[in-house]
Amino acid sequence: MGRITLNDIRKRFGTTEVIHGVDLEVGEGELVVFVGPSGCGKSTLLRLIAGLDQPTSGTIEIDGRDVTRVSAADRGLAMVFQSYALYPHMTVQQNLSFGLQNTKMARDEVGRRVSEAARMLEIEPLLERRPTQLSGGQRQRVAIGRAIVREPAAFLLDEPLSNLDAELRVTMRAELAQLHDRLTTTMIYVTHDQVEAMTLADRIVVLRHGRIEQVATPLDLFNRPANLFVAGFIGAPNMNLFTATAQDGQAALPGGLAVPVPRNGPCTIGIRPQHLHPAEADASALEGRVTLVEALGTETVVHFRTADGTDVITVMAGQPGIRLGDTIRLAPDPGQIHLFDADGDRMDNNV
Amino acid sequence: MRRVVSFLARRRGHGGRWHWTDAVTWLWLVGGTVLMFGPALWLVASSFKGPAQLAEFPPTLLPYEQIVVQVEGHDAPLPLYEVAGPHGTTRQLAEIRRIGTNAQMVDPTDPDTRLNVDIAARTPIREIGLALDNYVQPLVANDFLRFLWNSVFVTVMATLITLLTNSMAAFALSKYRFRGRDAVMLLIVATLMVPLSVILVPLYSVVNATGLLDSLWGVILPTVATPTGVFLLRQYMLTIPDELLEAARMDHASEWQIYWRIVLPLAAPALAVLAIFSVVWRWNDFLWPLIVLSRRETYTLQVGLNTYAGELNVQWHYILAMTVVTMIPVVLVFVFLQRFITTGIAGAGIK
Repeated sequence: MGRITLNDIRKRFGTTEVIHGVDLEVGEGELVVFVGPSGCGKSTLLRLIAGLDQPTSGTIEIDGRDVTRVSAADRGLAMVFQSYALYPHMTVQQNLSFGLQNTKMARDEVGRRVSEAARMLEIEPLLERRPTQLSGGQRQRVAIGRAIVREPAAFLLDEPLSNLDAELRVTMRAELAQLHDRLTTTMIYVTHDQVEAMTLADRIVVLRHGRIEQVATPLDLFNRPANLFVAGFIGAPNMNLFTATAQDGQAALPGGLAVPVPRNGPCTIGIRPQHLHPAEADASALEGRVTLVEALGTETVVHFRTADGTDVITVMAGQPGIRLGDTIRLAPDPGQIHLFDADGDRMDNNV
Repeated sequence: MRRVVSFLARRRGHGGRWHWTDAVTWLWLVGGTVLMFGPALWLVASSFKGPAQLAEFPPTLLPYEQIVVQVEGHDAPLPLYEVAGPHGTTRQLAEIRRIGTNAQMVDPTDPDTRLNVDIAARTPIREIGLALDNYVQPLVANDFLRFLWNSVFVTVMATLITLLTNSMAAFALSKYRFRGRDAVMLLIVATLMVPLSVILVPLYSVVNATGLLDSLWGVILPTVATPTGVFLLRQYMLTIPDELLEAARMDHASEWQIYWRIVLPLAAPALAVLAIFSVVWRWNDFLWPLIVLSRRETYTLQVGLNTYAGELNVQWHYILAMTVVTMIPVVLVFVFLQRFITTGIAGAGIK
């Protein structure tokens, strides 16, 4: 239960197409995260799956059944909205049971499901309260509870943690992960926060301008970004990107460091800030003057500028004692260099 | 009590002295109170005066009654006067009749001697008394209880139907997207500019053709679709987040259930405002009921009041008394629902 397949989904609002042909397969019990900058179409895609909007073309299948023209209620999915969308005039109990009563479910079965969900989410003392009397975290739980009681084929979560403060977000993130382990139901989770995506997902779908840029496990995404956009979007601080032109299978970084490139022509070299280390004294290296030091305690983020004006970021472990204006010389870890061709697609340099 | 006094004695001037704004504030507030409250109070006081006292000039503030005494040899009780004697003494005499500028009077203790007194030398003896007959007579003998019931029926039914139909229209116009929605809305709002007097004749033909003439439903039905109500409710419903409706849709709620169980309860403040408006409008309606209703049994209060204003004779004492009766429900509505009016209008207008 809970296999969702999207075939060439397109969505147009008026004359602007916002989803340009998305194909995706979400496996049973998988937790898939849609991530991307705002306006990339991730929420729209989720609403299409939920049935709140109709795709302009393409089909949606749940467990092999074509549900493209099936109403939202009959798809057997449950959604948690960004604003929670709890009914303000009903108590928590009524909020949880509203959907079940609408399906003419027997009263004791409704009671059983509600109390089970309340126990699971530890909201039993709150059942008689109204949403306005709850804190943000409690509302979040109730919203999830309203989805759980439906016993859906899949959960759809639209930025569920974005209204919480930072501390609560971390706690709820962990609880969501536990919940997924316990329920083993398919979940599709939309967020713009890459930390949420990396920590929760079985697989991440990176979206931009209504197109899928890459679908991969979190570590694959980090280690082998398929293109420049994914490379820049995943990982904090952002990957350093250097444009260069490859000749004779070699491209040069600022400071003369040579990198082997499989194809000649213009290319982009990407190096994560974490993958730069102090260079040997006589070897060629990225050399620059420190322009900003962000000491975070366990690590230090150092911004520096090379002689030709390229800004580079590096992350050093601990507190290395680098001050503003110092000159540093760094070299990339071998095997941790990402190469992209003129179109921004990944080139494999392990050839 | 001391806090009330200190509140009232508060001054803006330095060290508790008078500032010119204090004087203006007092003047403004006292003047406003007199201006607003004075006529209503005057009406209530006058409604307890007899017809003779109403015609008196200069008018008195409080209702008085002439004291009458039973004098031997006269069937009807005679009005009692104080008559100034020749040497500064006064006597209480009862008046039998007036002849020109003289009055034929009698001492109640000595009924056989008749006295001729200049009318300038006597003043009527009166005490504060209520002419309750002003109220009793119309309510008991002149069908005003019937009119009252008709008015209540019209007001209650019209308000209920107004709330139901207007909220349904507002729901569709605020929560569904369909071709021509804005045009329909514009059309509805545009009808605000057409006054009743313009459509009076065609409306009369319609009511006549449908056989509703001379019945209370002929008063009720043409008034229930109010553009103000649709506009007010629509503006309020626009503030209800769409996510709530989508959540309900996923919760298997039918469109009717969404309207009845989600939107209506949440629009309660705006509904309260419209209910208040509708009650006041329908209660105070005069022109339309006057045209539709021609049998006395179907009169509403406002039309009934009109029957006291004849071409030759206006029975002010009854008009005033029944005006007070007419005012009571409206005043009660405002006293108890005042806070809804302000919050509701503010909410519907600005949000």
